[in-house]
Amino acid sequence: MAVCIAVIAKENYPLYIRSVPTQNELKFHYTVHTSLDVVEEKISAVGKAMADQRELYLGLLYPTEDYKVYGYVTNSKVKFVIVVDSSNTSLRDNEIRSMFRKLHNSFTDVMCNPFYNPGDPIQSKAFDGIVSGMMVQPS
Amino acid sequence: MSVPDYMQCAEDHQTVLVVVQPVGIVPEDQFFKIYKRIASVSQVSIRDSQRLLYIRYRHHYLPENNEWGDFQTHRKVVGLIAVTTCGSSKEWPQTSERFHGQKEVYGSTLYDSRLLVFGLQGEIAEQQRTDVAFYLNFDECPDVEKRVEDFVESIFIVLESKRLDRATDKSGDKIPLLCVPFEKKDFVGLDTDSRHYKKRCQGRMRKHVGDLCLQAGMLQDALVHYHMAVELLRGVNDFLWLGAALEGLCSASVIFHYPGGTAGKTAGRKPNISQPADAGKRHRPGAQEVLIDPGALTSNGISADTSTEIGRAKNCLSPEDIIEKYKEAISYYGKYKNAGVIELEACVKAVRVLAIQKRAMEASEFLQNAVYINLGQLSEEEKIQRYSILSELYDLIGFHRKSAFFKRVAAMQCVAPTIPEPGWRACYKLLLETLPGYSLSLDPKDFNKGTHRGWAAVQMRLLHELVYASRRMGNPGLSVRHLSFLLQTMLDFLSDQEKKEVTQSLENYTSKCPGGMEVITLPDGLKLPPVPFTKLPIVRSVKLLNLPVSLRPHKVKGLLGQNMSTASPFIYSPIIMHNRGEERCKKIDFQWVQGDVCEVQLMVYNPMPYELRVENMGLLTSGVEFESLPAALSLPAESGLYPVTLVGVPRTAGNITVNGYHTSVFGVTSDCLLESLPGVKTGGCLVEVIPSLPRLQLSTSLPRSAHTPQPMSKEELSSTVSVQLFNGETQQLTITLENIGTEDIETLELTSKTVTTKEKVFGEFLSWELEEALSHLPLKPGQSVTLTVNIKVKLDFSGQENLLQDLNDDGISVTGLPISSPLRQVLKPRAETKPVSSESGKAEYNHIKTLEAVLNFKYSGGAGKVEGYYRDLSLGVHVDVEPSVFFTRVSTLPATRRGGEREAMRLRRYR
Repeated sequence: MAVCIAVIAKENYPLYIRSVPTQNELKFHYTVHTSLDVVEEKISAVGKAMADQRELYLGLLYPTEDYKVYGYVTNSKVKFVIVVDSSNTSLRDNEIRSMFRKLHNSFTDVMCNPFYNPGDPIQSKAFDGIVSGMMVQPS
Repeated sequence: MSVPDYMQCAEDHQTVLVVVQPVGIVPEDQFFKIYKRIASVSQVSIRDSQRLLYIRYRHHYLPENNEWGDFQTHRKVVGLIAVTTCGSSKEWPQTSERFHGQKEVYGSTLYDSRLLVFGLQGEIAEQQRTDVAFYLNFDECPDVEKRVEDFVESIFIVLESKRLDRATDKSGDKIPLLCVPFEKKDFVGLDTDSRHYKKRCQGRMRKHVGDLCLQAGMLQDALVHYHMAVELLRGVNDFLWLGAALEGLCSASVIFHYPGGTAGKTAGRKPNISQPADAGKRHRPGAQEVLIDPGALTSNGISADTSTEIGRAKNCLSPEDIIEKYKEAISYYGKYKNAGVIELEACVKAVRVLAIQKRAMEASEFLQNAVYINLGQLSEEEKIQRYSILSELYDLIGFHRKSAFFKRVAAMQCVAPTIPEPGWRACYKLLLETLPGYSLSLDPKDFNKGTHRGWAAVQMRLLHELVYASRRMGNPGLSVRHLSFLLQTMLDFLSDQEKKEVTQSLENYTSKCPGGMEVITLPDGLKLPPVPFTKLPIVRSVKLLNLPVSLRPHKVKGLLGQNMSTASPFIYSPIIMHNRGEERCKKIDFQWVQGDVCEVQLMVYNPMPYELRVENMGLLTSGVEFESLPAALSLPAESGLYPVTLVGVPRTAGNITVNGYHTSVFGVTSDCLLESLPGVKTGGCLVEVIPSLPRLQLSTSLPRSAHTPQPMSKEELSSTVSVQLFNGETQQLTITLENIGTEDIETLELTSKTVTTKEKVFGEFLSWELEEALSHLPLKPGQSVTLTVNIKVKLDFSGQENLLQDLNDDGISVTGLPISSPLRQVLKPRAETKPVSSESGKAEYNHIKTLEAVLNFKYSGGAGKVEGYYRDLSLGVHVDVEPSVFFTRVSTLPATRRGGEREAMRLRRYR
């Protein structure tokens, strides 16, 4: 399960970022922020070759001592970043993928809301709920 | 070896290391001047051969690192240039001694050395010595470069002989085992005759020869030797040296592929060196020139003959292979704890190569690996250096965020609690360098476009750190600027508690150093633009107010300068619609007057969760000399829109533009320009100021009243007097006109206008003699003149049809019906029967008539008069007219009764 989930706008500023409340929130801000370097690199590397049938899932962006950072980019260049605990070895790549898919679906719902202004921070409760479901439950 | 050289790059493998050091007392600046001149000789083309020798200079080199010279020859100090001063020949032996002492330090590896002596004169200085050069002083040493070149050539000769020596070792001689410092004890008691041992010796020697070839400018030979070394060492699982051989292979290939160097701009090589296409050609002649004894090589058990391999490109690794081999080498180094520095340096070198290849992802993997290399206990300074270089390398591969992250870590390391003397200055400098990585500029203008979009949490943290660092640096001005910036740009992201904290500390700082609007320029040239607090308070609209009616200037009609309709021959043109951008500065169609107080109304609100005190709030204007009269205000917490009137006095005439306002909040003064404020409504901010006009104040002998003549609004009249008169009565109204302005009143006109009534007025209602007053003109400031106005009322009160009937409350018809009624009832209560009288107060009787008029004083003077302006002062006159005679009762007596009562009338005067 994730310890931090972030949605980042096309212009690389956060639309939504949530981490396990017990942890140091700022640390995850830094982690996600620096992971954008890798995301950008990955996008630009693939970008020219086959922009159309590009895989949305970027895979493991980089491992740190304590965490693994995974990335996902929608076709509209909105980025999702999920940070999981390195000690959590039971998590398979497929599960991460499905988490991203779920996140993407929920994000699409948010975008469909006529009262949501694209580019504004996401405040949807439904989205919050989905994210909460994917987060590590603080015990 | 414990101190890594983070600046190393692959092409350093082909350089020879020369240490330049001061001996004895040498002024530092002079030494570095000489050092610079020496270091300018970074490559020397060797006479008689077409090879180039590259030299790396260091003024500081750990002898400990020198011990790894056998492992990688570019780490070996082969030359020493000592710089010294010597005043007299007496000192010479001592100086000479010191020089020899210095030589001892690197003695085991030195090929040659030189001593540059400054200041010595006399016979010693006249000796011709190759190893010592004498100069009079530091400014007169024109042939230093030449000397150094000669020196380098002599190094080359030694290098070349060593290379040949090693390359052609006869089989009969035992090949010595080269080893790194920490291996030495491992080989004690090893069987030196085993095949395994021999192969190891051969492999290591091959690698060593490869290094020497590379240094001597024989790239192709080096490649061949490295290839052979790799094969030999792989066979005996000598991983450390295998790694070194692989790295050598990589270095040689990098030098071949990227002749421009991988170090980037900082250590760029001279551009005149060869292009890749002719790199092989250039090296080949050199290789052929040196005699290689093929037999010697083969008989030595090393199978391949280098001469046949020379020039074959296949020896050179492809760009992809370079990275693969680097990876392999690093993985071998990783097996040895003591080779951490070598591993780290290899990572750095590989990253530089990858940066050139623009393969950022792989480079980041190398860097990630480098982060985890444990070098044991690092000093704080080394940690800072390490983080800085990581940041630099991340920046090199385009990972600006990661770079900023490490730079910030380095900055924090500068002031770690374990450091006795924290380097706040360095910390601050490093923090500033992280700003682009966090996409944060310190110009508040970049934050004007709507809501801020960015990594507020990390940006705020960074700003806080900047504030703190600048405070500890002892520069409160900087802290105030950064804190203001934080408050202004991150206001939306601060919690109420944080807002409180930030403003409190801001007030603390400003008590020592008030914030202003000047641009702060840092020593390194970075400019910190001022931060106006446009959000404290937030201004929603700006409206310029007209003068009060009595002070408004009027233009004399018929004069030229009716500025309408001159702009365009068309009555209407749609093109004007396109000029919307200028709307903000369109001219407003009223005028202000020089010397008179003018007002601008702002609608402001306070976004803070507590009371906001704004001091010294005034207007910023241009075009006209303007004396702003600042106001202080206190806005309640989270107030709604709150009107604030800013006033000022234009001191000259012309067009005035209201550009903005200035405030002082929390001790920070800010100039907020309207054009940089988003979402501010203005009705234009350009107004014409006309030259000054006099001001007239009038006072009257009659009491003032609240009445206003109907068609006029209250504002239009400066005052109103009211008086009650009986019909036919005349009352004198004395008006005192006082000039309270600063200009002479030169003209005065008086007109009156009776407010239309249905009443018929007989005679003149208001009459006056102006001549007397006019004779006092021009009226100087402070002087006054009186004017008498006669109010005469003459109205017709007759002719109300039922008057008599009303009065005749006997019910007896006045028409003369003979009704005899001796028992007259006195006074039926009239109130019930007449609706008019139901009104209370004075209006109980409806016989009062009202007359109203307006007296209009037109006056002018001073410069405004020249321009054709005048002012208007109006006095309302309200007169209640009562009839002078009142019939309260009419009784009729029959005319038949003689001697009877006569018609009786009762007169009553009201007062």
